[in-house]
Amino acid sequence: MNRKGDFQTDVSILGARIRQRRREIGVTQSELARRIGISASYLNLIEWNKRRIAGTLLRETAEALDLPLDELDGSSERRLAETLAEVAHFPALGALGIEDKRIGELIGRFPGWARGVAALARSERAALARANILSDRLSNDPFLGETVHRMLTRIAAIRSAAEIVTEYADLPADRRDRFNRIIHEESAALSEVGEALASYLDKAEEADPVLTPIDEVEAVFEARGNRFAEIEAAAGALTPQLTDPHPIPRRAKADALAEEKLGEVIDDVIMNRSRIATAAARARARRALVDYAAGAILMPMDTFATRSAELGYDIEALAASFSTDVEAVCHRLTALAGEGLPRFGYFRANAAGTIIEMIGLEGLAVPRYAAACPLWVLYRAQQSPEAVLRQRALFPSGARFVFVARARLAGPIGFGKPRHYLTDMLVMTEDDAARTVYAPDPSTFVEEVGPSCRLCPRRACGHRVEDPLSE
Amino acid sequence: MTKRVLLAEDEPNIVESLTFLLERAGFDVTVETNGRLALEAAMADLPDVLVLDVMLPDLDGYEVLRQLRADRRAETLPVLMLTAKGQREDREMALKCGADLFITKPFANAEIISAVNKLADRRSD
Repeated sequence: MNRKGDFQTDVSILGARIRQRRREIGVTQSELARRIGISASYLNLIEWNKRRIAGTLLRETAEALDLPLDELDGSSERRLAETLAEVAHFPALGALGIEDKRIGELIGRFPGWARGVAALARSERAALARANILSDRLSNDPFLGETVHRMLTRIAAIRSAAEIVTEYADLPADRRDRFNRIIHEESAALSEVGEALASYLDKAEEADPVLTPIDEVEAVFEARGNRFAEIEAAAGALTPQLTDPHPIPRRAKADALAEEKLGEVIDDVIMNRSRIATAAARARARRALVDYAAGAILMPMDTFATRSAELGYDIEALAASFSTDVEAVCHRLTALAGEGLPRFGYFRANAAGTIIEMIGLEGLAVPRYAAACPLWVLYRAQQSPEAVLRQRALFPSGARFVFVARARLAGPIGFGKPRHYLTDMLVMTEDDAARTVYAPDPSTFVEEVGPSCRLCPRRACGHRVEDPLSE
Repeated sequence: MTKRVLLAEDEPNIVESLTFLLERAGFDVTVETNGRLALEAAMADLPDVLVLDVMLPDLDGYEVLRQLRADRRAETLPVLMLTAKGQREDREMALKCGADLFITKPFANAEIISAVNKLADRRSD
């Protein structure tokens, strides 16, 4: 199924949406035209779908209509459709006969129900992640392991002594006393272990309900569509201050400028414009936003959008063109937004295969607390450092993505020292990849991958290490 | 002739019970409370049966067993290993290192006695 198919028509009714919204809030065509700086006749053409609208103009129109961009251009509906398509293909629901071809109709006729189902699916995923964390904690917690061992030892001593006292009728009085004392001593010790265990479990229950600071920060980026207009606006003016042509000092200067000149804007985003509950998450969000701001200074959005399109979104060519590194380019690509522009997600993994950063893409289900599918190119890029590897990935849901991964050296190097690599991976739908240098041709091998074994219905896969959750 | 059991266990109250039980069952019992001493004692004078706890100071039970099995003289020494219940890796490890039998804590006294008897009989065959 073409998962975007149901909504491709939305782009062509963009004009109608603008017209409808304008009337809802009681603004005349000429007033709106004035506010967004175009002529009324041009706006009229847009409203009747005779002219396309995209980029900055679309954003300004959304602002003037007091509507989030994703609602105006239908991307929130597209995301909803993608979430519902995932639900339809969830292995546990396979037998229910969900009408996966009629998702568009469901959203159109019962938008509230559709959002409700999507919200339940999200909360189910969060609950699963939490259950995984807890079960990991139970099986790997050194305190629990040690405590259980101590309890069993105490119980063994009590049981053995108690059996001796009851089973050996001829036991001399002094030995009987001795074994009774052992039972007494060991019972007291066992109570202590029990109490320590109970108080430990109490503390574990009180732990913060939000999963981790990483989740909190990711939620902030997701809510903004990976784009922070206030930072973009302030960053552009700083770009001329980058005078050194070399990537490393250039990056250092951008970091310093972001910290120095954009600190206030960043703090305002964190304190007043997002819902972050913990200090750890605030610190993490600050680092992520300083990083974002440095990227915005190095690659101002207007220039970046134009040049990306010219260079076919080639991450290495862009890095060379902006005199920066591939990782910064990947980050920057996730902030690209606008009608007709491809959307990108980004993953970073270490040598252990842990995903240490993730800027998701709708429709790409990834377990945060379990390993993803080992067949992802993300995990084999470290076999050939610095090489850009492309993977054409087919998911069990039918969704097709193109993954572009490259491993790079991280940390200090020198003769005799170990070399550590991190892998950056850019992700895009196959439809979007068609507009990039990474476009697969029809003969490119299609790899059948999955989200992770627990979420993957491919029973026959030779790389399966766990049964699907639906079992 | 009285059979000799070397008991390697560091929990004093368990040592007391097991010593009592094994003596009542007719064995001559020697106790060592750390792994290194247990290994030395076993190699100096091979007992008929070694009862070996996993969690021992200095040298854990697995290491004691590995070193014993590496020495030809102790290759066939009957060893009963004591592990904690539910620790599946412990059980697998005990067998891998060459334990003849293992019993999980908390155990029933009768289990221990019957296991030690069985190993001691095998020795005399």
